Amino acid sequence: MGKTFGQLAYIRHIITFSLSPFEQRAFPNFFSNGFPNLVRRFRGQIFRIGPPFALLYIAFDWTTKTHQALLRKNPADYINDE
Amino acid sequence: MTKIFRKSNPLNKMINSSLIDLPSPSNISYLWNFGSLTGLCLALQIISGLLLTMHFSPSINLAFDSTVHIVRDVYGGWFIRNVHISGASLFFTCMFIHIGRGIYYGSFKNLKTWYSGVILFILSMLTAFLGYVLPWGQMSFWAATVITNLLSAVPMMGGTLVETVWGGYSVGDPTLKRFLVLHFLMPFSMIAVSLIHLVFLHETGSNNPMGINPNMDKIPFHPYLSFKDILGFSFLLTFLITFSLLLPYLTTDPDNFSPANSMVTPPHIKPEWYFLFAYSILRAIPNKLAGIIALVMSLSVLLLMPILIRSNKRSMTFMPLMQVTFWLMVCNFIFLSWLGAMPLEPPFILMSQISSFIYFFIFFVMFPLISRNEDKILEFHAMYS
Ligand code: HEM
Repeated sequence: MGKTFGQLAYIRHIITFSLSPFEQRAFPNFFSNGFPNLVRRFRGQIFRIGPPFALLYIAFDWTTKTHQALLRKNPADYINDE
Repeated sequence: MTKIFRKSNPLNKMINSSLIDLPSPSNISYLWNFGSLTGLCLALQIISGLLLTMHFSPSINLAFDSTVHIVRDVYGGWFIRNVHISGASLFFTCMFIHIGRGIYYGSFKNLKTWYSGVILFILSMLTAFLGYVLPWGQMSFWAATVITNLLSAVPMMGGTLVETVWGGYSVGDPTLKRFLVLHFLMPFSMIAVSLIHLVFLHETGSNNPMGINPNMDKIPFHPYLSFKDILGFSFLLTFLITFSLLLPYLTTDPDNFSPANSMVTPPHIKPEWYFLFAYSILRAIPNKLAGIIALVMSLSVLLLMPILIRSNKRSMTFMPLMQVTFWLMVCNFIFLSWLGAMPLEPPFILMSQISSFIYFFIFFVMFPLISRNEDKILEFHAMYS
């Protein structure tokens, strides 16, 4: 079922390596590289994801307010009431 | 030669080739966790459901009270029920994200995996609907009435079909009993289909965020992705425990705390949140049959995905216009779901009609046009700027 290691692709000069557990670092350069990278990725996506959500908010806001307005009587009709 | 245990017999070999030595792309993101998370949800629902069934009485005179009995008298019963309720919501949350991932990264191009997934989606929607009827509250009863009545719109045999499903002339005791049987049975068939889903997936291997052929750079599933999946599990379990202990009835309709009464129709009949998008589309169309066709179409778009989205790139990672369209689809889905929970009053009626139209417009016009032309638009832009 499916391909196994060794027959995935034709590759010359296969290099395998492993790292001693004593040399591993789980979070290398987390703040110095990771954080700027987070900012970069956020800036790359915000103008593609933001506008649809802004539209969603506008549609939601308009619909709610219009619904509330339609449930009210028109105050102008009662202007001369005691 | 020493015998390697994990390759020593056919069963071990199968487990080995799908969970241990499986070559997996090195660059798959956390979005590839949602398949195993959906599987975990299925397992949790089956375990908690099994425990609930032990104390449940599927008769219209006892169902509601036996549900209350589970919560009040059965040792730990309240927790089991809460886990089953919150678990259903998490199940669909994971499934929606899983499907969204498939659309975004072009994973649907693994046709067999995708179509077995769509079958799983339909099966889980059916199972969730059947389960919702069991506690025999007001919303259970009326949801069953509304949804089974959809069948009556089938030409020629509608009436017969509905009565066959009911086992009588209205939703009643036989309906409740067969719904329990089916609700119990279907999750096991879903396990079988999930395994088929995985067999097909392992035939080709996983897709990856870049949408390129990942065979040049693969890592073994264990330990890398086995541990990543366990990390995902611990997040899901944290959410599950939090919701079932602190907000167990977050999505439950208050009407379902009253026993079913065929003489009193609740003012606002509405399904659980994960059905609201489809319910909105159903309600948006005044004609009954047309509404049902639109409902079926809203799910069938998944089957058409491989035709609707076609481009020379597999994934949307390098297609900014497709990304905007995708998020538009997501936002419209949220809007549609919200509208489904609102009463049938202006302006909700008009807005759900507009939103339903946009739903189909995105799938049938925007996705096909943009996916086929985005590279030309961007090339043109690059040439003249
Ligand atoms: C009970 C429901 C389901 C279960 C248990 C399940 C399980 C899984 C698992 C474990 C994977 C591999 C891990 C991953 O890529 O996330 C996977 C992959 C996949 N699933 Fe599902 N799935 C379910 C429903 C669905 C649905 C509803 C669809 C689509 C309509 C779907 C489409 C796919 C696709 C296309 C892949 C391959 C992803 C890739 O390689 O990029 N699945 N599924």
